[in-house]
Amino acid sequence: MSPAAPLDDENLLAEILLRLPPLPSTLPRASLVCKRWLLLVSDIRFFRRFRRRHRCSPPLPGCFVPDRGGVSYTPTMDSPDRVPAERFSLQLDGSCYSNPLGCRHGLVPISPNLWKQVLVWDPVTGDQHHISFPPGLDGIANSIHGAVRRAAGDGEVHHFQVILVGVVEVDKQHVGVLACVYSSDTGVWDNIISVLIPFDAYTTRVLKFDLERQSLAEIQLPVGMSEEELLQLTVMRAEGGGLGLLYISGFTTQLWKRKTDCDGAASWGMERTIELGKLLSLNPEKERVRPLIEGLAEYNNVVFLTTGDGVIMLQLESLQFKKFYEMSDGFYHYPFESVYSVGNQHW
Amino acid sequence: MATREAGKKMIMLKSPDGMEFEVEEAVAMESQTIRKMIEDDCADTAILIPNINSKILSRVIEYCNKHVPTTGATGAAASDTVAPAALAEDLKIWDAEFIKVNRATRFNLIQAASYLNIKGLLDLTSQTTIDTISDNSLEEIRSFLSTKNDYLPEEEQTIRRENQWAFQ
Repeated sequence: MSPAAPLDDENLLAEILLRLPPLPSTLPRASLVCKRWLLLVSDIRFFRRFRRRHRCSPPLPGCFVPDRGGVSYTPTMDSPDRVPAERFSLQLDGSCYSNPLGCRHGLVPISPNLWKQVLVWDPVTGDQHHISFPPGLDGIANSIHGAVRRAAGDGEVHHFQVILVGVVEVDKQHVGVLACVYSSDTGVWDNIISVLIPFDAYTTRVLKFDLERQSLAEIQLPVGMSEEELLQLTVMRAEGGGLGLLYISGFTTQLWKRKTDCDGAASWGMERTIELGKLLSLNPEKERVRPLIEGLAEYNNVVFLTTGDGVIMLQLESLQFKKFYEMSDGFYHYPFESVYSVGNQHW
Repeated sequence: MATREAGKKMIMLKSPDGMEFEVEEAVAMESQTIRKMIEDDCADTAILIPNINSKILSRVIEYCNKHVPTTGATGAAASDTVAPAALAEDLKIWDAEFIKVNRATRFNLIQAASYLNIKGLLDLTSQTTIDTISDNSLEEIRSFLSTKNDYLPEEEQTIRRENQWAFQ
């Protein structure tokens, strides 16, 4: 066996290059080594494997926010990993603000036309899937929430699921919650499932949608939390796994975790607190506004917060933070966590 | 091979240069390739491992010996006294020492790990190769991997232009 042999074998070279760090500049730089490397790293099958390998450890190249006629992107990383804004711009027909529904696994679901259709966009490959709303949700809901996820697994598959949850008014005391799942491998929506919940539950409970069992269940928020006038709360993956909550009370961030005891009874426990005033050198006496949650990057564990002088990104473990914008535009941010390819021009 | 008694069953691995290695079946089965041969009953008492010389095969067996999950009486005793995190830490330190080999040996280990389908060893050897080159310039990478730059200057310029931000 000659020393260079593994690199002459396409399969072994792919095995080695798959372990390149997931930074955005990685594959463009690797493609410059030689033509063989370019062919390999710009192959869509290689890219899918690379993406799958970093499914739970993607970098955070930037954020999307709603924009007139599309969505706009702002990079968060420094050079040479700063993917420019124009690379991920999306212009859609019409001049309405589009509503991103939350990014995950490199996909951005957007509802561009008043809740009639969902567009699932892959900014890296440029792929777009237009999916009509399921009949039961088409135009009837007052409010739509959504999520997207790519299937896990080792195969060549790159299928995704879209989960839509709509809220409809039923009477003065109740709202109906409708949920529906679309799978790209079958190309159809599953049956809509629904629950009726008391109107006040909208602000006092978390709604849990179990994808496997296709069921909706309510989880009561920790006592006292829902009494806040402007609830600063987001659901997150708890430290060490499981359901967690990120909650801001005044200038203090609280991290909560859902725990189950040996009898199977579930309850909330506060894991730790972060004093934002002290950490960010904010003076609660002088600040006009308290910090507001503007977005959460789940895999990087980074929360975007509006403070008096702009938007900051705070890493919840290291507590390192940096300023993202000088000014807040008031929009919710949709952090985009994804690896980057060589560019779609080779596909 | 159809029946397997409890206890330590031994198996013979032969390298193409004529060396024989007697190893526990459980250790050999760290290789998914050998596991499949044994489970499919294709293995005789001695298995010839083509393409992997005795020097590399002995290193591979050393790796599998260290990484085979401990079971039985001694294994239970070990896990009673040593926390899993400490065991994992011990393995990490052992791996770091194990992979301190020259480039030719590492490349041979990559090939062996791939042929024998030993995921942990493939991860370790490939990741070490990537870590060695990650911070290097393009020229250093090419020289380390004995790869020639076959781009014409204008082709290289075109690729740089496509993702200019990545080269800043």
